[in-house]
Amino acid sequence: MPQQYTQHGSQARQQHEDTQADLQQAQTETHVDALDAVLDDIAGTLETNAQDYVNSFVQQGGE
Amino acid sequence: MPQLRDSATRAGSHGADTVHSPQFGTGARIFGIETEYGVAITGVDRHVDARQVAAMMFQPVVTQTRSTNTYLRNGARLYLDVGSHPEYATAETRDPLDTLTQDLAGEWAIRQLANQAQQRIRERVGRDATVHVFKNNVDSAGHAFGCHENYLVRRYVPLTVIERELLPFLITRQLFTGAGRATGHGFELSQRADYLDEAVSSATTRARPMVNTRDEPHADPEEFRRLHVIIGDSNRSQFATFMKLATTHLVLGVIEASVRAGRPSGFGSCTLADPNAANRAISRDITGAFTVRLAADRDETDAAWHRHGVASALDIQQRYLDIVKQKVRADRDTIARSLPRTDIDQVLADWQDLLDLVAAQDVDALADRLDWAAKYRLFEAMRRHDPHVDTWRIQQVDMDYHDIVNGNVYPSLIRRGMMRTLVGERDVNGAVDNPPRDTRAALRGRFVQTALRYGLQFSCDWTRLTLTEPVHGEVVLLDPFDACPTPRFEALIARMKQADTVSESLA
Repeated sequence: MPQQYTQHGSQARQQHEDTQADLQQAQTETHVDALDAVLDDIAGTLETNAQDYVNSFVQQGGE
Repeated sequence: MPQLRDSATRAGSHGADTVHSPQFGTGARIFGIETEYGVAITGVDRHVDARQVAAMMFQPVVTQTRSTNTYLRNGARLYLDVGSHPEYATAETRDPLDTLTQDLAGEWAIRQLANQAQQRIRERVGRDATVHVFKNNVDSAGHAFGCHENYLVRRYVPLTVIERELLPFLITRQLFTGAGRATGHGFELSQRADYLDEAVSSATTRARPMVNTRDEPHADPEEFRRLHVIIGDSNRSQFATFMKLATTHLVLGVIEASVRAGRPSGFGSCTLADPNAANRAISRDITGAFTVRLAADRDETDAAWHRHGVASALDIQQRYLDIVKQKVRADRDTIARSLPRTDIDQVLADWQDLLDLVAAQDVDALADRLDWAAKYRLFEAMRRHDPHVDTWRIQQVDMDYHDIVNGNVYPSLIRRGMMRTLVGERDVNGAVDNPPRDTRAALRGRFVQTALRYGLQFSCDWTRLTLTEPVHGEVVLLDPFDACPTPRFEALIARMKQADTVSESLA
């Protein structure tokens, strides 16, 4: 369930500054790791011919 | 193209027999999203093209309903649009969280059809055949297609006011609603900004291509109009879809309240000198700082917020947010009650947060909730890994992000916890088979479910349920807020169940 929007709450916004700096540093590192993992996940996609793939999608507009 | 029909003169001319919606006097809203999907196929020779794939996707639909245009068990509309675009229009919802959930149910339904088609194509032409269904807004040749939002708006708001006061908001909200796009001339916030201008005749009705005003309210036309917003991108980010609807609702609520009270909303001071140029320029600036000119004839209520007639996308968004915040402080109960499930304080806090993060140019912090930022961060990572990565590769990853059938990028970001979700798989699965419970979609869903269970032929539109075979029957549902079955509706359902026993006894 979408807890974030069905609960009132902003208590998490008040972190101590040091903790927040540490957190940010840790988050940046995890982000880089996770991004690398994403790039690994999509390596299969990246093996195909990118130009052919992009050009395969042509159709008349809708709306 | 339907003409603008300003029906302001209708206000106050209610006939004596008009049945008012109980929601007319409240802040409640009906929301809907119509998403057009793009189709492609790879891994095949030229035997199969996208048009055929789309036709194959709809074969099961045609078999069941004898049409490529039908309504589903959850009250949504599914059809094959011009240009072989599968299109899914959510059932009427009262809360953006429900609209989001219904839109995701549509993704699920389209994905099912695509997987079935892919299976059959593979049997015929080989196992490498891969069907791609893109929830984006432009193909490789520059054909644009849409994701349209519908908002039911009270009729006493003149069309000119909607256009004047809403358009600057719609143009600048791409800071958080833009799906992002890698283009030949760099990264853009919006998929569509480059394509909307083609249809614009700036002299007279400049807003028309961004806000389509066809007069089909699918409700009592004396009370409501249906605002059809066509400027938006298709979002994969659940957060972006949700915020797009929630913030637009709040802005519309302020406009309605100010017209009702006969006071200016304050939004009139944001009117842009050249909406199209602003739309394109803002799309090309992820910092939100690029300034655009305000219209000379704007309604100036407070000149302190802008810089002598020019303002950035961030300035304009902040102006809208500040006015909404003021309004919430003044009329909290009405506004809080207008959305049955959503906490408006959280929406306001997140809206402010988004603007602050854009101002701080903190793309990493935005990347877990906004499509454009997620893609931008990924493209930057690709360039770090390979400084010579070519544009085709970037564009391929861009497109893969929007492929709801065989795409790897978005599912990977979700799996790795890199993007937020607001609704879980169980909610989405539930929404595939069940309509929203608090709108007339509940009745349409029950009608369709009954027809399918008993093998009866039917047709629908948004206000009408028609049983065509083996017996004829029809019910009109004019109030989109009304989920209560009328005696006439119950009688129709009863006849449908009876029709089954009649045909069984004849068999």
